[in-house]
Amino acid sequence: MEIHKYEKWWLVFGTGTLIVFLIILGVSAFHSGTHPNNSKRTINYEQVDQMEPFNNPGVHKVEGKDWDYEVVLVAQAFAYNPMEIEIPVGSKVRFIATTKDVIHGFEVAGTNINMMLEPGYVSEKITTLDKAGTYTIVCNEYCGAGHALMYSTLKVVDPDDNNN
Amino acid sequence: MANPKKPSSEENLKGTLIATFGVGLVIIIFWVIAFDLYVGRF
Repeated sequence: MEIHKYEKWWLVFGTGTLIVFLIILGVSAFHSGTHPNNSKRTINYEQVDQMEPFNNPGVHKVEGKDWDYEVVLVAQAFAYNPMEIEIPVGSKVRFIATTKDVIHGFEVAGTNINMMLEPGYVSEKITTLDKAGTYTIVCNEYCGAGHALMYSTLKVVDPDDNNN
Repeated sequence: MANPKKPSSEENLKGTLIATFGVGLVIIIFWVIAFDLYVGRF
């Protein structure tokens, strides 16, 4: 079989980019730990309020772990608990979230934090909040009549800057 | 049509090559922009 010279160039280029993409994907998944935000934990969604850690939603400073803060968050139609999250800039944070009723979204607008919250499942995301600012948390899964009003706020504050 | 051999076909495929690489580069440029956005955010 005879392949045209230009076709060979294209095949080499196409195969090369495919290999590069697969390497990037492999490094992200197996080295950097990029994976779906599922903790592989299931719970009874009707007893969320009685269950650890969701019986105490909020921001918790932790010691002796790989992260500095744990944010425990419960979603329900049509609000998040807590309504406002405040974290010092540069902190490594583990977000642990679930829902009490229907499927909700947990998207911190303008960041990579974007999880689906499903009844009976615990969603998790560990990340370092390295840019100060006020971010809006929105529900991006249609959850009912009040969906558009469902939001919360994440404040990443610089402790040295009083203007924040 | 007159010539069953193809000595001149190499020249004729230059535009195809440029067009195909053009599409490939557009895909890669947009991919790199999106990936950079992902890497730059927390």
